[in-house]
Amino acid sequence: MKKKFKVDVDCANCAAKMETAIAKLEGVNEVSMNFMTQKLTIDADDERFDEIMQSAIACCKKVDADSTIYLS
Amino acid sequence: MTRKEKKKLTRILATGAIFAALLMMRRTAAFDALPRAVQFVLFLIPYLIIGYDVIAKAGRNIRNGNVFDENFLMMIATFGAFAIGEYAEAVAVMLFYQTGELFQDYAVGKSRASIAEMMNIVPEYANLEKDGNLSQVDPEDVRPGDIIVIRAGERVPLDGTVLAGESFLDTAALTGESVPRRVRPGDDVISGCINGANVLRVEVKKPYEDSTVARILELVENAGSRKARVENFITRFARYYTPVVTFFAIGLAVIPPLVLGGGWSVFAAWLKRACIFLIVSCPCALVISVPLGFFGGIGSASRIGVLVKGSNFLEAVSQVRTVVFDKTGTVTKGQFRVREIVPEKGAGCGEEELLRLAAEAEAFSNHPAAAAIREAAEAGVPETGTAGIGASKTGAPEFGTPKFAAEDVREIAGQGICAGAGGHTLWLGNRKLMEAQNIQYTPCAEAGTIVYIAKDRTYLGHIRIDDEIKETAADAVAAMKRAGVSRTVMLTGDTEKTAQRIASAAGIDEVHAELLPGDKVARVEKLLAEKAQGDKLAFVGDGINDAPVLTRADVGIAMGSLGSDAAIEAADIVLMDDDLNKIASVIRIGRKTMRIVKENIVFALGVKGIVLVLGALGAANMWEAVFADVGVAVLAVLNSMRALRAD
Repeated sequence: MKKKFKVDVDCANCAAKMETAIAKLEGVNEVSMNFMTQKLTIDADDERFDEIMQSAIACCKKVDADSTIYLS
Repeated sequence: MTRKEKKKLTRILATGAIFAALLMMRRTAAFDALPRAVQFVLFLIPYLIIGYDVIAKAGRNIRNGNVFDENFLMMIATFGAFAIGEYAEAVAVMLFYQTGELFQDYAVGKSRASIAEMMNIVPEYANLEKDGNLSQVDPEDVRPGDIIVIRAGERVPLDGTVLAGESFLDTAALTGESVPRRVRPGDDVISGCINGANVLRVEVKKPYEDSTVARILELVENAGSRKARVENFITRFARYYTPVVTFFAIGLAVIPPLVLGGGWSVFAAWLKRACIFLIVSCPCALVISVPLGFFGGIGSASRIGVLVKGSNFLEAVSQVRTVVFDKTGTVTKGQFRVREIVPEKGAGCGEEELLRLAAEAEAFSNHPAAAAIREAAEAGVPETGTAGIGASKTGAPEFGTPKFAAEDVREIAGQGICAGAGGHTLWLGNRKLMEAQNIQYTPCAEAGTIVYIAKDRTYLGHIRIDDEIKETAADAVAAMKRAGVSRTVMLTGDTEKTAQRIASAAGIDEVHAELLPGDKVARVEKLLAEKAQGDKLAFVGDGINDAPVLTRADVGIAMGSLGSDAAIEAADIVLMDDDLNKIASVIRIGRKTMRIVKENIVFALGVKGIVLVLGALGAANMWEAVFADVGVAVLAVLNSMRALRAD
């Protein structure tokens, strides 16, 4: 399943780091964090999608505590 | 400016004022007389006002195991400055850093806004007609086959066909073309355009997710994921650069004092040099400005109605030296018109009859010539309602063959078609077909596409169909040459003569005519092999039947593709309308973007390199280091913003 989320990330370098971190999560097929459009596109396993999103948020918080992913 | 930015600006101004006052006070003897601790506290006040968030962030990130974070580097560098007694420098570094950040945020926000504005083609609602009632619904809830109503001034929400109403559509947001497009019942309308004049009733053809608007947005949003070589280089570079410089900084702070010995003052001097390294170690200038440059380039291309699918293609198009054109629909208008119907004398078949026969046989073909014949037959021969092509009113001999079904018609690649039913066979095609079938025919020497028609063994006559060269073709080719294209080639399945005529009118250097569809790929591969290394080849087609070639070329450019899925899929660059001039424009945009990106890389690395060397030698101070970090970043971002502006 592929889904798009709005994000709030302040620095381009952080966005790149988040992308790398999320890509390493298990169950994530494809991820792209677009700093310019402030959009996160995740393609991940259907059954575990919510769980994966939680880990993805944790990844982003770890890179930059001020970042936000808007789940809705 | 956002609230966040305004708050930061206030902090910067407050700190700046306090800091300036302190610097002035420092010149007085009274200040010197103050104990060091008091001086420290005085400078600590502006430092904390400007830097508290950086320190807090650095602290949080360390807890998360993120050491090489720019906040952390700034914190260490300024702490280091305090440690060696450079209070003013510590405040200045933080102040400059924050000012730079503010500039950066502002510049990025600005370019983000202008891109969002450019992409402001999303329809908000559709007026769905159901049982005679209109209701406003989300375009995503409308299904193909539904009827929608578009009022004047509203955006077309979905792709469809006009059922009723005549109007003008403003396509500027999609194509950059300012002349409105006229639509009538039967015409297709494309989502994203604005209805100019009258109410239109439209039957929806595609669900929202397949509509032109949705596809364009997806293309632009995903453009970032296809990175140019330079971009990948910067990403990799950034990954190593920061840790390497940081380790050098640690080495600089620790090793020389240990080797050289000496007390606190020696250590302090080296610590200062280490701090300079730390400040310069952030790769932000590159990490932000390079993608921003590409984004701006892609954005300014989309403003003129050119979709570039990724920065890698913008990079490739900047190196294009060979442009290969498909003829039909690219160099020419692709609007074939029947110019002449010439029945063979003595064959006993009239003009009308010949045209009707041809139209019947070509009923299933998607060749442009077939469409022209069908169009002419519809316009010229009134509908009689009689079935079959034998219903001759002229009293000519019976050419009766029942109406063809799709399976009766066979295409002969590169020659034409043959349609058989009721024991008769109709042959329609070029000379090659006539010769292959051993049919006696009268060759026509006029320019254009000639369709020879024979029934069984009897030659009936020919229909001459011609296409017009685009008015802009010659100018566009000249503009491409000015933009650095050194070789232009035209490929066509048409005859040598027609091809030569068109090519010379357009100023195209080379022609390869009478090619079968499959030959085009082979021809392009040959051209690819011939070009110099580092140069790129672009293929320009209208997306009909040339998807394999579009894919094979370094840069596949599809034009006039509003609504053509196959072309958008196969091409790397999509021209929303069919204006050839835009090819030169996109080459120029590519060049400009690459130049900006390279300027930024050379400038940023150059300044950082110089400051690192001077810093290691003890010849640079912290002010210069701050410039090499945020100053360079701001300048690079400002430079990148130029890519957004179309020239």
